[in-house]
Amino acid sequence: MPVQFRAKKLDIGSFINKWVIRDHTKRKVYKEYEPERQALRYIIRNTSLPMRTRAQAQLELSQMHCYTRSTQINNRCLLGGRGKGVFRAFRLARFQFRMNALKGNLPGVRKASW
Amino acid sequence: MTSRFANSSRNSKSAMAVPSLRTALLRSSHRIKLSPNTNILRPRIQTAGLADIKDSLTTSNGTTTYEDDIGSITITEADQVNPNKQKLDDLPDILANPNLTPAQRDLLGRARIPKSLQAMYNKPLKRKPTHGIPVCNLQIRSFSVRNLELQADFALRAAYYLGLPAKGPVPLPHITERWTVPRSNFVHKKSQENFERVTVRRLIQIQDGDSEVVQCWLGYLRQRSYHGVGMKALLWENEGLGVGKRMDEEAGVADAGLETEWGNFGMRMNVKTAEMVEELLGSEAYEKPKRWMEGFWREPIEVARKPNTSSK
Repeated sequence: MPVQFRAKKLDIGSFINKWVIRDHTKRKVYKEYEPERQALRYIIRNTSLPMRTRAQAQLELSQMHCYTRSTQINNRCLLGGRGKGVFRAFRLARFQFRMNALKGNLPGVRKASW
Repeated sequence: MTSRFANSSRNSKSAMAVPSLRTALLRSSHRIKLSPNTNILRPRIQTAGLADIKDSLTTSNGTTTYEDDIGSITITEADQVNPNKQKLDDLPDILANPNLTPAQRDLLGRARIPKSLQAMYNKPLKRKPTHGIPVCNLQIRSFSVRNLELQADFALRAAYYLGLPAKGPVPLPHITERWTVPRSNFVHKKSQENFERVTVRRLIQIQDGDSEVVQCWLGYLRQRSYHGVGMKALLWENEGLGVGKRMDEEAGVADAGLETEWGNFGMRMNVKTAEMVEELLGSEAYEKPKRWMEGFWREPIEVARKPNTSSK
């Protein structure tokens, strides 16, 4: 099913594996469908609209593809594709962060001792 | 000279994250800024007798020593493979010209450095504010104190030459971020390592400056900023009397422009979403459905009941 969203050509330049591609696709799909999602949410919460309309919107929202949900997006490591322990400030997982910090690739980061 | 190099090698341990080539460049620039190159200063310090010493050195073959304010320099015979060349290299470029007569050399050696150039070796000059009204707060940030100091120094000098009274640089509290990560890529949580990133900050305040000049100053700083340095500026503008009325007028115009943005305030909705809502509500799925056998329904007719007369 998600194949319908996937790009024909590779359109990212980071570390590549299936998880990274999947996450990238989810981000694109979420961006594309965001207005629609928000519109449905608005209709559902608007008490001045008839109950039938709101129920209809609820149904439609629940039937949207899971890739259109923002909760599906998970930050991944740029250099290793890892999904856990990724620092937001560097977009690197903890081990990649350590390696690059020791190499001096991350500006200003050095070994701390206090 | 040698002691300075020793210092730099000792410091390089603490700045482990910076590549060695870059640190070397930094150090050299720093050295030029803070402690003037002896070659440039020499003509001023040893004005008297420099030319004579030069002449005597070219003629003598033995060990020669001469002293000045900086220290003593000893040139032994072994060093002087080509005494002429060696000695010329020792002198500043202008004086090293072999075509000069001793008198000319002496005159050149006595020449003063231009004041603007001399100012480079002194603390940055500052203008005095007349009223002390702050116009601009410039915060300079960096991970490296050297880069930061250089940029702050440059900013002060630029402000002086643009005629802006500046205060600072005020050292602001460091921002320290720390991270702790396991040393290994997998398990072994007991063995961890700490990393930190310290952001150093300086504040420069411009007082009583014209806003256009301040803009010019900021633009110049941005254009000529040193590497690894970030800046952010907070600007205040002063208005004449009757600001309230003028601001009210402006606000009216601005409101009209912001109508589309603020119309959806608090609803997590933008223009695109609003269009989508309209589209959805107008679509077929949201129409009021037709009743079953619509055409055959008739509205009920009220029939007036005759009064019951039979019951008696």
